[in-house]
Amino acid sequence: MARLNEDGQWIILMALIVCIALFFLAYLMNESVLVGKTTAESALDFPKSDIRDIRSEIIRLNGLGSPINTSIIQDIKTLSLDQKNAIVTINQNPPDTPTSITFHYNNGLLQYDETIPL
Amino acid sequence: MVNDAGQLYTIEGVAAAILLLVTVYIVLGTTTVFTPGDSHISDLQLVQLGDDALAMMDTPTQYVETYNISTEKQSVLENDIMNPTAANLTNFYSNLTNYLNVKSVSRDHLNYNAIVWYRNSTSNSTGNYQFNSSSFNMTGREHYVRVTRLVYLSGLPNQSPPNPSPTITSLNPAMDNRPQTVLLDVTIWRD
Repeated sequence: MARLNEDGQWIILMALIVCIALFFLAYLMNESVLVGKTTAESALDFPKSDIRDIRSEIIRLNGLGSPINTSIIQDIKTLSLDQKNAIVTINQNPPDTPTSITFHYNNGLLQYDETIPL
Repeated sequence: MVNDAGQLYTIEGVAAAILLLVTVYIVLGTTTVFTPGDSHISDLQLVQLGDDALAMMDTPTQYVETYNISTEKQSVLENDIMNPTAANLTNFYSNLTNYLNVKSVSRDHLNYNAIVWYRNSTSNSTGNYQFNSSSFNMTGREHYVRVTRLVYLSGLPNQSPPNPSPTITSLNPAMDNRPQTVLLDVTIWRD
């Protein structure tokens, strides 16, 4: 009976290692398709700049005169609701001589509350 | 007679088969994203760019010093919307296009259209008028993103921006003549 030839074991072992390496590379490629897409999607969904905008506008308005005129606050609320689908409430505490302003933001995806000390 | 030589080769064969099967499974199971996978990434970059450009234009460059506090002066953006003269609109156009189209090698090809949303306090309803845009030929297939910025105005804008009709005083609903916050709404797309 012909004997099995056991030469070249190292070559076969190396081939196995290369196979496993290729396997992991394929797996990485598989995952990478989704990574950029999902990251960008979640970053787009997050209303970071809207919140910063409202915050900076509140501070700008407060700099022009405290307390802030309620009709201007209503402008921000109505425009946010109509154009940005976000519920915004802004409260000056206490209303006549505010020492802090709290604002609440909710666009259905994110709810955010902040107290701005004056 | 059963010969048990070559056991190792059998094990190796089985291992190789499993490896091949799993690899084929992963390759076939790779998610195909039918919308271009990077379209969201470029959208995100456009949004970020637009937001930053508006934030820069809405940042006052000077402060007024009073006895115990320094107050922001009117920003370029506030001034342009408040006084939409031809010169100020040209200024708005050149600022925004320069910020949007900055690129290290050549210029980018971004277009924009800016409208202003305001609130009528009597009816608590909102209205808008077109403020300014870059020159472009609409195809209807623009892949645009929308960025906004709240802007403080000390009253009714002094005049209607060139072109749009009706004029600023005959908008429906009427734009109030009072200190107010308006929403500058800018759509941006790449040609």
